[in-house]
Amino acid sequence: MLRTAILRSAAAATRVAVRPVPQIASRVTIAPVMRTTSFAPKAVAWQGIRCYAAGGSLDKEEVYERIRQLLAAFDKVNDPKNIKETAHFSNDLGLDSLDTVEVVMAIEEEFSIEIPDKDADNIHSIDKAVEYILSQPDAY
Amino acid sequence: MTPLPNPELRSQVIAIYKQLLYLGRNYPQGYNYFRSRLHRAFMAKAGLTDDTAIKEGIAKADFVRKEIEAL
Repeated sequence: MLRTAILRSAAAATRVAVRPVPQIASRVTIAPVMRTTSFAPKAVAWQGIRCYAAGGSLDKEEVYERIRQLLAAFDKVNDPKNIKETAHFSNDLGLDSLDTVEVVMAIEEEFSIEIPDKDADNIHSIDKAVEYILSQPDAY
Repeated sequence: MTPLPNPELRSQVIAIYKQLLYLGRNYPQGYNYFRSRLHRAFMAKAGLTDDTAIKEGIAKADFVRKEIEAL
């Protein structure tokens, strides 16, 4: 009795453990080249990991949208309507140099990167910030 | 941008400003209170052009940093 219960639960556990694998595989389109290679079963796992890490690159629209939201939440911006893609922090948004430092800090946090001081000095406008984020492979 | 007196000191000021902002995250009266006060304190000294005066300001900011750390 006990033995059958253990066997059954073990079987259920393996079923559960096995099931997610085809799901991942079905979502990943394996390159035909990979399919013909001898290590095909390994390739599935590798593709799965790859899939998880992929999609890290940001597109321009998304970066801009996230910076726009971040600035919209920033209470010192003179008018949220002024937030445009080419807006200059001090000329268009009414921010002083210290506010710009704060904006750059907020951008650092938003995209989980660290912006060195010399680069932070050059970020004066939204398009500059977007450009910088897109040039950083670590940003996400 | 206006010509800056000393880029070396400028980066020091920005660095201490950032440090203070990070420390102010859990200030008792709230982060916004701290941030606006800090901003005003730095802006009051924004016109300094003399190196020694700026260095004094940085020393004062450093003192404040230690005070906040001790909180």
